[in-house]
Amino acid sequence: MFKELNPLLHSELRLGVMSILISVESADFTYIRKQTGTTAGNLSVQLDKLSQAGYISIEKGYKGKMPCTTCKITALGVTAFREYVEAIQSYITKK
Amino acid sequence: MQDRPIDEKESLALIAQMIQNTQQKLELGSGRIFLSWGYITIFTTIAVWLALRITNNPHWNYLWFAIPVCGLPFIILRKRNNLGVRTYIDKIIKQVWIVLGLTGFLLSALSIFNVMWSFPILFIIILIMSIGSILTGLIIEFKPLVIGGIFAILIGAVHYLIKIYDVKMLTFALAFLAMDVIPGHMLNIKTKKHV
Repeated sequence: MFKELNPLLHSELRLGVMSILISVESADFTYIRKQTGTTAGNLSVQLDKLSQAGYISIEKGYKGKMPCTTCKITALGVTAFREYVEAIQSYITKK
Repeated sequence: MQDRPIDEKESLALIAQMIQNTQQKLELGSGRIFLSWGYITIFTTIAVWLALRITNNPHWNYLWFAIPVCGLPFIILRKRNNLGVRTYIDKIIKQVWIVLGLTGFLLSALSIFNVMWSFPILFIIILIMSIGSILTGLIIEFKPLVIGGIFAILIGAVHYLIKIYDVKMLTFALAFLAMDVIPGHMLNIKTKKHV
């Protein structure tokens, strides 16, 4: 029996964002945009979706005089990511 | 990257790639923080030494406070110029230096204000900061910081054993050359090659 894949994470961009945030303590919007190579608008929408699901926390502040959005993965996000990886592994091993 | 579904193999490859991209431990100019603290400490030591030698006025010991006063702007500037990501390694290193830095500052202040006047403060500071350099070197896997820290401890032993004031001041400055300045330059050279 295959485990069901979390639809929120089974998207290239959202999974990319979660993979970055799982391995660092925090990352700002510009860094994530550079790493994922996506547009600011698209990234903003996907970050909102992850935030609404409680997978990441978003903090808006300033770096010097420039506005800066910092993202962190939450405990719920870590659990969801781990479950997603386990599900993916079960797909690959059973195929 | 787009908001599109992907297959299982693509998922795993993407996760591996993103995690790998964040694992770069060194960034351009990583040695700058060591150079800043190293040079500030060396110049302050020489300034205090010369001032005390020339004037014999112990009030010049307050000049030691130039180290935190001059060093703090470098920390603030570094925070503003970072790459937009904070790894767990950054967090650990920061916490190590906060603990060691505050300990060093507190003990120095107590010594300067004569609360602990018989305390061998310069020797203790060499030990505390050497431990910081060695730990940082071990965490980021950069040997010159570890070796520099060990050298600084050895210089610290000489500093403690020799009772001549001029030698004490010079060995204090020399310890910071070994643990901060030399590894700091080497770290900058290494990051220039990698970036």
